[in-house]
Amino acid sequence: MANMIMASSRTLIRASTASLPPPPPSQKLPILNHITLPRLQLPLLNNLSLKIPIPNPNQTLKSLSVLAATSLALAPPSLAAEIEKAALFDFNLTLPIIMVEFLLLMVALDKVYFSPLGKFMDERDAAIREKLSSVKDTSSEVKQLEEQAVAVMKAARAEISAALNQMKKETQAEVEEKIAEGRKKVEAELQEALASLEKQKEETIKSLDSQITALSQEIVKKVLPTV
Amino acid sequence: MESLTILDNMNVLLCSINTLKRLYDISAVEVGQHFYWQIGGFLVHAQVLITSWVVIAILLVSAILVIRNLQTIPTFGQNLFEYVLEFIRDVSKTQIGEEYGPWVPFIGTLFLFIFVSNWSGALLPWKIIQLPHGELAAPTNDINTTVALALLTSVAYFYAGLSKKGLAYFSKYIQPTPILLPINILEDFTKPLSLSFRLFGNILADELVVVVLVSLVPLVVPIPVMFLGLFTSGIQALIFATLAAAYIGESIEGHH
Repeated sequence: MANMIMASSRTLIRASTASLPPPPPSQKLPILNHITLPRLQLPLLNNLSLKIPIPNPNQTLKSLSVLAATSLALAPPSLAAEIEKAALFDFNLTLPIIMVEFLLLMVALDKVYFSPLGKFMDERDAAIREKLSSVKDTSSEVKQLEEQAVAVMKAARAEISAALNQMKKETQAEVEEKIAEGRKKVEAELQEALASLEKQKEETIKSLDSQITALSQEIVKKVLPTV
Repeated sequence: MESLTILDNMNVLLCSINTLKRLYDISAVEVGQHFYWQIGGFLVHAQVLITSWVVIAILLVSAILVIRNLQTIPTFGQNLFEYVLEFIRDVSKTQIGEEYGPWVPFIGTLFLFIFVSNWSGALLPWKIIQLPHGELAAPTNDINTTVALALLTSVAYFYAGLSKKGLAYFSKYIQPTPILLPINILEDFTKPLSLSFRLFGNILADELVVVVLVSLVPLVVPIPVMFLGLFTSGIQALIFATLAAAYIGESIEGHH
């Protein structure tokens, strides 16, 4: 950049000093001593003979601005020894080297950090989740066992009541049997008794009949004495 | 008469320029000064390479030391690395979606490299090592580094789109309407440009501000700016990684 400004300043210097007499070397300003510049090509100026017909005040202004530019152009070469192309947008081989470094870093980090730690974390997560879910399962198992117990109890009770009912029925049947037997016996004895009573009744009637005839004969005898 | 006036003016101007030069010597801010090496026929910025090697060494050595012995109940170091990995996975998952797994190393390395570079530039005492020309600083203060990372991101999202959709990937240029074709093409240039310049500008500017402040008032005043620098450089690392993931996600995503 400084070179560009220097190149442009050379043409400016030639144009501006065209109308001036060449300054004698003794009048050279002390400040300019340390500047190493290519010498102003003064002998060439006489061949150029540029005549700029401009009115005076404008010429002063113009030459002032031109001088400002030249002085600024004169100064950077002295600083340039220390600055040496201040380059912010300086693209060079660094770019692809950084790309390669980054890709190698990516592969290395993946092998050393991302993959092993990632796998470890995922496994740990899965193990914890499994343990959690297994804990939940046993609580449901307990509930199942409880229900089973309740069902068993119910079944037992049902059995018991069924057995009880059956026993009741059986004993009732027995009881009724015995009652029926007893009743039959009683009836049979009753029949016997009735039959015997009937017999006795007939015997007594028969005996009564004979007694009745005897009695009636006696009564007749007594009633009819003279006969 | 005229010539005298002109020479006087020249004199005045040169005096002021000389004082400026003396001030420059006092402040000695070296902007854009690089320490050049020559490899083959090419120049490289050696200060960037050196600091990038230091950053890579920090990352790899710390990772190796921690990941050697993994416990179910983590130690402090392992916990820190687990947090970072979860953070990176979260960023990738949010931006890319379900197929984020293969991209975690890329996004993670991007985030870690930029983060450690920026913070190393701010925290490590690089000035101890005197270079013959230029100085050591964060590797991300160089346009080569940031453009390299941005170009890699570009390649990554192109690769993502092409590997998922094949040549149908190029239909995205005429989505949602073909009128936007020039804008979509322009996007492919502005994405890496903005990524690289955002990071480059932030890091370089912060360094410059700190250096200038330190050269003017070296005691207490630069400290808040340094903290601000730490904060913004961390954020810039996150932004770079998030945007990279977002571009990849955008390339991968299915139809709207």
